[in-house]
Amino acid sequence: MGLLTILKKMKHKEREMRLLMLGLDNAGKTTILKKFNGEDVSTISPTLGFNIKTLEHKGFKLNIWDVGGQKSLRSYWRNYFESTDGLVWVVDSADRLRLEDCRQELSSLLLEERLGGATLLVFANKQDLPGSLSKDAIREALALDNIKTHHWCIIGCSAVTGENLLAGVDWLLDDIAARVFTAD
Amino acid sequence: MVQCHVILKDLLGGGENIVDMVDLEEENFAVSNSSDADAAFDAVIGSIEDIIMEDDFQNLQQNFMEKHYLEFDNSEENKLAYTPIFNEYIELLEKHLEQQLMERIPGFNMNTFTHLLKQHKDEVSGDIFDMLLTFTDFMAFKEMFIDYRAEREGRGLDLSQGLVVRSLSSTSSKPITSRSTAQLK
Repeated sequence: MGLLTILKKMKHKEREMRLLMLGLDNAGKTTILKKFNGEDVSTISPTLGFNIKTLEHKGFKLNIWDVGGQKSLRSYWRNYFESTDGLVWVVDSADRLRLEDCRQELSSLLLEERLGGATLLVFANKQDLPGSLSKDAIREALALDNIKTHHWCIIGCSAVTGENLLAGVDWLLDDIAARVFTAD
Repeated sequence: MVQCHVILKDLLGGGENIVDMVDLEEENFAVSNSSDADAAFDAVIGSIEDIIMEDDFQNLQQNFMEKHYLEFDNSEENKLAYTPIFNEYIELLEKHLEQQLMERIPGFNMNTFTHLLKQHKDEVSGDIFDMLLTFTDFMAFKEMFIDYRAEREGRGLDLSQGLVVRSLSSTSSKPITSRSTAQLK
């Protein structure tokens, strides 16, 4: 590891967090990101690359990375694992047909060594849609209760209305803060 | 001190003697104020400052940007291709820094230095570290490329707003136009 990388890691832990937001395509990752940032969410097109937003919340600086979720892009996710404090896994709760795909992608992420220290927040998104599954149904479909390697939490939300987004981030932030900043 | 070097170099056309003298003073100052280990640490910091200010370093950045700038555009969403370029950039700068430090400081060892750096963690601040940290900031990196591309394609300074030609009064513009049309005929 070179000088710059080490410096960056040294400075990183000072009330600054890196959150990585992943999930299948059309889950609503970019919408969540923009909603957080107070931007217009009415015209969002599929992400082919990645977006970064830096937000101040509760005295922390959150660097949120949102990477496109199309199948052809998922092999690039690994390039964004480094130094991740929190993994936000976004699920389209109305997309019943792809829940198995969703479960598999998540479970392989949780095996990644570089995400080993990350807290997991699952957003059961699109709760505003009529056909959407509840967060408990998503919890079961993704077999979240089997996860022993990471702190995790699932929250039902709607990126479009903004419902529960803050609750999710608050939980994530508290968990990371308790883990990282007291452990040092 | 860094600014001082540059000014001296500019004034004296890079007179080596003067610059060496300044370096010497810097080291003496460091020794008189702290232990040998601290002095060694300060010497490395001083060298890093020098390296970053030198033409070689600027050229390194310049060549790198020249090689990759067409990949970058101004859209808000980032391309996946930026990431490997960013990693390559950091590696390039790190290698250059390490290599230059080894040339300048006998027995320099990066591992020892980074170990010291961690010990000095709380004192590690100031312009030099802020500058080093901006090299690792992805958004700053992207910005640098977009600026470079704009400049490269002649959009760096948009003077169109400042160069609007207006006549002093609306009446005075008319005769000029009619005269020049008349001349053309």
